[in-house]
Amino acid sequence: MKKLLAIALALVMVFALAAPMASAEGKTVINVMSFTDEVPKMIARYVELHPEFAEKYEIETTIVATTDNGYQNALDAALANDEVPDIYCAEAAFVLKYAQGDACAYAAAYEDLGIDVAAETEAAAIAPYTIEIGTRPSDGKLVGLGYQATGGAFIYRRSIAADVFGSDDPAVVAEAIGAGTQSWDKFFEAAAALKEKGYAIVSGDGDIWHAIENSSDSGWIVDGKLTIDPKREAFLDLSKELKDNGYHNDTQDWTEAWYADMAGIGEKPVFGFYGPAWLINYVMAGNSGGSAPGEGTYGDWAVCPSNVGFFWGGTWVLAGKNVPGTDKAEAVADIIRWITLDASEDGLQYGWANGTWSGEQGTKDTVASGVVMDKSNGELDFLGGQNMFEAFVPANEYANGSNLTQYDEGINNYWRDAVRQYTAGELSREDAIAAFMQNVADNFDVEVDF
Amino acid sequence: MTLEKRNGNVLVKTLIYIVCIFLAVLSLFPFVVMAINATRSTYQIQQHAVSLIPSTHLMDNFKVYTGKSFDPMRGFLNSLIVAIGATALTVYFSTLTAYALVAYRWKLREPFFAFILAVMMIPGIVTSIGMYQFMYRIHLTNNLLSLILPAIYAPGAVFFFRQFMLASLPLELLDSARIDGSKEFYTFNHIAMPIMKPAMATQGIFTFVYTWNNLFMPSILLTKDNMKTMPIMVAMLKGDIYKREHGAIYLGLTLTVLPLFIVYFSLSKYIIAGVALGGVKG
Amino acid sequence: MDNTLQKKRTFSYAKYGYLFSLPFFLAFLIFNLYPTLYTILLGFTDSKGLGNITFHILKDDPWKNFRSILKAPTFALSIRNTFTLWMMNFIPQITLAMLLTAWFTSRRNQIRGQGFFKVVFYMPNIITAASVAVLFNSLFGYPKGPVNDLLVSMGLRSEAFYFMNFAKPTRWIVAFIQFWMWYGYTMIILVSGVLGINPEIFEAAEIDGASDRQIFFRITLPNLRTILTYTLVTSLIGGLSMYDIPKMLNNGNPNNSTLTSTMFIFNQAFAGSYMYAKGAAASMILFLIIAFFSGIIFFLMRDRK
Repeated sequence: MKKLLAIALALVMVFALAAPMASAEGKTVINVMSFTDEVPKMIARYVELHPEFAEKYEIETTIVATTDNGYQNALDAALANDEVPDIYCAEAAFVLKYAQGDACAYAAAYEDLGIDVAAETEAAAIAPYTIEIGTRPSDGKLVGLGYQATGGAFIYRRSIAADVFGSDDPAVVAEAIGAGTQSWDKFFEAAAALKEKGYAIVSGDGDIWHAIENSSDSGWIVDGKLTIDPKREAFLDLSKELKDNGYHNDTQDWTEAWYADMAGIGEKPVFGFYGPAWLINYVMAGNSGGSAPGEGTYGDWAVCPSNVGFFWGGTWVLAGKNVPGTDKAEAVADIIRWITLDASEDGLQYGWANGTWSGEQGTKDTVASGVVMDKSNGELDFLGGQNMFEAFVPANEYANGSNLTQYDEGINNYWRDAVRQYTAGELSREDAIAAFMQNVADNFDVEVDF
Repeated sequence: MTLEKRNGNVLVKTLIYIVCIFLAVLSLFPFVVMAINATRSTYQIQQHAVSLIPSTHLMDNFKVYTGKSFDPMRGFLNSLIVAIGATALTVYFSTLTAYALVAYRWKLREPFFAFILAVMMIPGIVTSIGMYQFMYRIHLTNNLLSLILPAIYAPGAVFFFRQFMLASLPLELLDSARIDGSKEFYTFNHIAMPIMKPAMATQGIFTFVYTWNNLFMPSILLTKDNMKTMPIMVAMLKGDIYKREHGAIYLGLTLTVLPLFIVYFSLSKYIIAGVALGGVKG
Repeated sequence: MDNTLQKKRTFSYAKYGYLFSLPFFLAFLIFNLYPTLYTILLGFTDSKGLGNITFHILKDDPWKNFRSILKAPTFALSIRNTFTLWMMNFIPQITLAMLLTAWFTSRRNQIRGQGFFKVVFYMPNIITAASVAVLFNSLFGYPKGPVNDLLVSMGLRSEAFYFMNFAKPTRWIVAFIQFWMWYGYTMIILVSGVLGINPEIFEAAEIDGASDRQIFFRITLPNLRTILTYTLVTSLIGGLSMYDIPKMLNNGNPNNSTLTSTMFIFNQAFAGSYMYAKGAAASMILFLIIAFFSGIIFFLMRDRK
């Protein structure tokens, strides 16, 4: 027994020491860091398509999951220790930190890589909000761009629209919810009309939160001070109104009950969801209770413009500050250009928009380049054959990146909890706001005026 | 024994069995859910997270699990290396340190024990800042040794063994071994350790389970694909914030827990019966 | 003469005490001294902000971080929560563990299948806290979830109850999970402690005609003293640094009712503003609290002989 253990231990040590190190064989190594294998797979595809590139460069990929802040911890440690990856990714929830906030100094400006930013973004008609978010305020230079565009629209059930509003035409529903009015008045009129026939307008208050959050005029922090934008404060009242009147099923996003409402098997049938194109592909289609028209709610959906403009999610690609001036600057620029700026049919975005980028028939999505959007087809069976790009492309114009801050993820958590406490009657309106402000004061390096 | 007393006994025993069976069901329930969810599709799980009816998506989930950029076999091997290495070092060296605290009188013994208790009480969460800065500086990232070698230092385990030795290691036995001419190190390995076997097995299980499931430090220290452990791979399945592969995650969790079962059940005989005080009687 | 000989002998053995604890100490010096000192130092600096390795020691006002932590109402709340949650899970946990230990080690009343039970009761501890939290979150889901479905279909409630939106139920769920994950662990330690007691003591007691109850309270418990000290102290340390379950079950919500002190520290140091210095100061305060209460346990459990 003891000998066995000793042998096992010795083997363990040998294995541990003999950690295989990939030899680069004279190739230049490009380090990539990401939180999923989405971007690494794109880069692998790029290398596959460009054999001459593969001869000169070797891609070293590091993927760390976002679980428990793991990705940010690992990336931050690498940045702080001057092991800045050559290419790294950031999700909408934390991109501000890397593009505009505490860690923005570690990113290289796209122009320093040799990218003609003004000309190329214009040529591809890149959605302005993605540029806005990827621009570093300290020097006004672009440091990150995405490939998706995540402008949001209202995704509704055709059968319910026909029942309540007399037609399932997107134009009719757009009118009913007050599309483009930047207000919630018509929305609540529609909610009342839907309730009369036994429908809920949305699944839970989380559904309107993303729209409200991104349509506000200022973010949570202005000049280092906590600011509660009136539109965000109104979420308290809107949320209360929804709950008190029974206009929703009182679900929380990303829980069973929320998914059930997509399949139409919740307490009351739910009319619609606010979201970008990925919500359809990643979440709603699979949860519709079917995979072909006629099954579950599949095929019974359509998209119309939202009453307030917003975007939700997206991944930005950044280059490390040490890249410019080295022999890999051009290669890194080529990869970034192919992913974020190439509007041709050989670029990533065309394949991404049409669901063909990895060869097989994948899901369609909206992308950052307006040029690509114009020549792509967004027809989906899930939407009864509607071309979803009709609604999503204009939505990108309303999206705006100026009301985001790098602490949003944490602050939103406190705010949504305070609102839930208020709507549940556990806290008064004042107490809910006070509890929220106390949380921000105690947990962030932010000034709070009580 | 009177009939009344026997009836009372039966009643008590029945009660004990009812409680135990109830607790056993509670204990096994999550494993059943996990295994069943491994056969269900992501969307089925989103609609009903808890179900007792297996589905048919095991192969699909397996494809997702193996279709990522990591190699599950490699992950299993890495986990095994780290867990075996760390467990062996923790158990052996903690027993040795505890032995030093119990079997010998030395000037710094009490201060040293107080020191062990103190370092045990430092909340680990904040020392992790210094920890990974340090590992970066000595270039032990992406090396499994960075997770194995620090296991020599396990204050909690030392405390555990010390308390057990105080209770069940007869010091007279060591004295008689000395009289027989046994060298100190030999006495520890061949007389003290066998007595501590149940405690070592118990601590061994705890350490193995902890190391096997540990995610925080490994996910910071091991970033290269060929270095990742099984829990990191499972975490990577939920990496995408908006598209989680629930079916594959549960499959990953089930596959991660299987080796733990094997280790646990093979060591559990010590928990069940114990070979306590084998040294005394022999 | 006799005396000097003995002295000489103990002296010569003392070096083994140092020698055998050397590996432990070396590993500490190599891997943990730096992080520990670094943390202590950080508490007295203005360190904040990601990747900001340069920081200054607060020479004028070294206790600034400590004061600001002690003044923060959220920190005080987190300490209170942590104690409440710990008491709520530890009292039932140790009670059940003791009861099971008494049942399983009773020499008269052999419980059949006790090997199976002992093994199975530890199993909740094998699953990662994250999976457990996810499981319970969906069990108590609202407005749809197995528990709510059951309550409504059995007619116990007319409509679904939003467990995670109310402080008390959420706390009880957290406490229950902690209890359920750890009672088996505690039981295993206690059982192996009992197995380590010299069987001759029990045999003697049986011959003297002691009852099961007498044996447990007069023989088992006193002999378990050192093991019980271990259990109490480690549960205290573990309980006061509770993190995973409340974090992943409901992120400290509702209204911070399940925010624990370690979560507070994590929020200071890692989430959002990266206030390392404040996080370090808060963890030192937490350390002092843990050390104080551990000291009390050691004092109460000391060998009175």
